Amino acid sequence: MKNVVKTILFVLGLVVIINVISFLLIPKQNIKKYGMLKTAKYEILAEKENTIDTIVVGDSLVYSAISPMEIWHNYGYTVYDCASPAQVMSENYNDIKVAIESQSPNVIFLEADGLFRNVRKQKWKNYYKRQLEYFAPIINYHNNWKKGIVNFLDSDSNINIYKGYKYITKVKPVTKKVQKKYTNEMKHTTTGENIPDDNLNYFKKIIALCNKNNIKLVFISLPNMKTWSYSKHIEVEKLAKEYNLEFIDFNIDNVLNIDWKKETKDKGGHLNYGGALKASKFIGEYLKNNNLVVSHKNDDDYTSWDKAYMAYKEDLKKNNN
Amino acid sequence: MTYFGIRYVFLFLPIVVLLYNFVPKKIKPLLLLIASYVFFYIKSKKLIVFLILSSLSIYLAGLMIKKIIHKRDEIIREVTKEEKKSIKEKFKNKKKLVLVLTIVFNVAFLFYFKYLNFFFKVLNGIFSVSGLDMTLKLFKHLAPIGISFYTLQAISYLVDVYNEKIEADENPLKVMLYLAFFPTVMEGPITRFNDVKDKIWAGCKVKYQNLCFGYQRIMFGLFKKYVIADRLNIFVKLTFKHYMDYSGITLALGAIFYTILLYMEFSGTMDIVIGTAEIFDIKIKENFKQPFLSKNISEFWSRWHISLGLWFKDYIFYPVSLSKGVKNLTSNIRKKWGNKVSSLIMGAIALFAVWSLNGLWHGAGYTFIVFGYYHFILILLGNIFEPTIVKVCEKNNIDRKSGFYKTIQIIKTTILVFIGELIFRAPNLTVAFGMLKRIFTKFSLNGFKTEVLTLGLDISDFIIVLLALVVIIIISLLREKDINIREKISTKPIVFRWALFYALIIAIILFGAFGPGYAPVDPIYADF
Amino acid sequence: MKKLIEILEELQPDVDYETCEDLVDGRYLDSLTILSLISEIEEEFDVQIPTVEIVPANFNSAASIWALIEKLQEEM
Repeated sequence: MKNVVKTILFVLGLVVIINVISFLLIPKQNIKKYGMLKTAKYEILAEKENTIDTIVVGDSLVYSAISPMEIWHNYGYTVYDCASPAQVMSENYNDIKVAIESQSPNVIFLEADGLFRNVRKQKWKNYYKRQLEYFAPIINYHNNWKKGIVNFLDSDSNINIYKGYKYITKVKPVTKKVQKKYTNEMKHTTTGENIPDDNLNYFKKIIALCNKNNIKLVFISLPNMKTWSYSKHIEVEKLAKEYNLEFIDFNIDNVLNIDWKKETKDKGGHLNYGGALKASKFIGEYLKNNNLVVSHKNDDDYTSWDKAYMAYKEDLKKNNN
Repeated sequence: MTYFGIRYVFLFLPIVVLLYNFVPKKIKPLLLLIASYVFFYIKSKKLIVFLILSSLSIYLAGLMIKKIIHKRDEIIREVTKEEKKSIKEKFKNKKKLVLVLTIVFNVAFLFYFKYLNFFFKVLNGIFSVSGLDMTLKLFKHLAPIGISFYTLQAISYLVDVYNEKIEADENPLKVMLYLAFFPTVMEGPITRFNDVKDKIWAGCKVKYQNLCFGYQRIMFGLFKKYVIADRLNIFVKLTFKHYMDYSGITLALGAIFYTILLYMEFSGTMDIVIGTAEIFDIKIKENFKQPFLSKNISEFWSRWHISLGLWFKDYIFYPVSLSKGVKNLTSNIRKKWGNKVSSLIMGAIALFAVWSLNGLWHGAGYTFIVFGYYHFILILLGNIFEPTIVKVCEKNNIDRKSGFYKTIQIIKTTILVFIGELIFRAPNLTVAFGMLKRIFTKFSLNGFKTEVLTLGLDISDFIIVLLALVVIIIISLLREKDINIREKISTKPIVFRWALFYALIIAIILFGAFGPGYAPVDPIYADF
Repeated sequence: MKKLIEILEELQPDVDYETCEDLVDGRYLDSLTILSLISEIEEEFDVQIPTVEIVPANFNSAASIWALIEKLQEEM
């Protein structure tokens, strides 16, 4: 019995210490308002209020393909990825709802693949990982010790440098099998793929939310040879027409000219950094051509983005494997 | 699931410990077996069949040999002394047949999974050189995890039964658990049946003390891995990949870092393995004993990956050097040149066999073969020149027992190890020799100064590595003096102890090279 | 026993064989020296040392080596 008490006390002590350190290390521009845990779970809350103009919402396709820092560097637009693995529409809705608590974006890109994901098939692993990050935000931010204790209390020092993007340079070329299946899936048909009811309901809620807040919603389907199909394409197109949305399908005619031998990290499932450069450029161009957002380059309120870009570049160099 | 992963340390292991403590004593060993098979299945899926086949083959062969031995002993009791010899010989041949067939059966799997492709590549090379229009098709397949480790254990079990050192076990589950025991199955240590058989089947309850000690050791292993090994890996990866771009000192530092990385990673794994076993009250012999305090290469290999060295010594070195063939071969030399020379030649033949196999065991590739012969040559040269060195020292009044002399020896050995591990790490021989050439010819202090901070580690990383290594060195020196550190700590007041453990855990979380900005690292020894 | 100590001293003079009890574990005898030792013993005492018997426990002290020799002679 004594040992059990001892163990519990030890663990409690550890939790306290970890929380203190977490407080010192995680980005904290908005901690006062939203609390540490919430800021850690929804990273976008750590950004300065009303600075993000564009949000990309969706699953792993999003954080593999869109690097906001590249867009910042080339266009001066502020983009943020709100994405986690195998995300479904209810989670997308939730992400948007949280994001607009502190941000007022003009545009939201919504990855369409999540529409078709079976809601009940949510992997426990993702859930478990997300919960872990929620309760131990230090996992994502532990490396901030490098910035030194003096800077811990300075709000500008602990900035998020990836803005939701996950940097991966690994190359695993697409296999013949995947290629064949994809070619098959992309054959023109007229029958659409079924969308689970729950996803459809939350999609409608997203539309309502965007309309209410004057946000332009754009459907996208990022390059992906493993799960996308033509029947999904026509189903989304139908939906887009119904709600008067724009739909960019990167999978039709390989718009981005992705080299699937070099620019994928997992045999055609997701893009790697090389592919992400192309996708990010497309998003930047799109925002520019449609005059949807303004550049914040040379804007004094956005110097932390320049700092973030410098740190981002450093990090890329370090992990250039 | 790797031993270093959160899933192993904080999910799999606690669940096994909990279940283990709740089931009745008789079922406890069975639970360990089930946990081991689950662990193996998670890693290798259907390939678990091969592990089971190996286990069953040695179990049955062991029983057969045991029967043969019993029969021999029965007959021998009733015959005269003269007949004894021929009967013994007859039965020896019988059990030898069982032994050889079963070993061939087991080694065949190992060969198929690990060496067939390399063998084909070599053949294809020969074909193309000799102008034959023929190519063997290479194939891609994954090997069952830890096959190089458990196959050696299987062989040791069988040979020990054959030599009547141990008795074949009647319980198939026990033999299965011996091969599959989840802490050791993936990366060793290569245990001996005699050392672990009682403990793995004892079904002792998990004691609080063992649980604490076990997890302390596991944490120490995580510290080595995440704070030091994974951090150095960033630097090492770049130097080996783009070696043509860097100057000599930078490359030398890359090679040194790789050896440190390998030691931290591998000995860290052993900390987790031995710590895990300790939780279940199973003592596993240490696999490392301060290798970087070795005075020569042969000593290094008795302190580094000890269980592998001992395996080769017991099952290759002595059997080969004392085999009839080698003895006959050297008997003439013995008459002419005396015992010393003949022993040296006997030893050289056996060493050659050991290091050929040791190189290949580490991997199917030319670099590993060169890695093996590199050590063969160094050990052989050491033995040949030792008398000369002794004489030279005596003549010049050099005290070979002085601390200074020993330090020089240790430094020399360590440098030789750095070179060996460089060959080990290099993707092919061109890179290995290219790097070595640059290290010795492209010496440039200015080049080093401009390069060192561009390889992914900044000043604060270097400071962390340095501090962590100081901690490791202090602990190593204490261990060398046979001081049991954990026992010592456990006698200290609770405030001190907790502060220490908190510091260790926080150090891993804070200074570990994981998460955003660090690519995960594959375990190095798990592929063997 | 005296003969054995002589052989040992010839091979490795730096040890006090009357007292030393970790000849193998203390690395006074390395594997090549043990090979020489085995050859010498086999010739001098007319025994065959099987590989099974080559374990540290049998070679850690002069006394244990002697015990091994006596055991093997008996078995002959």
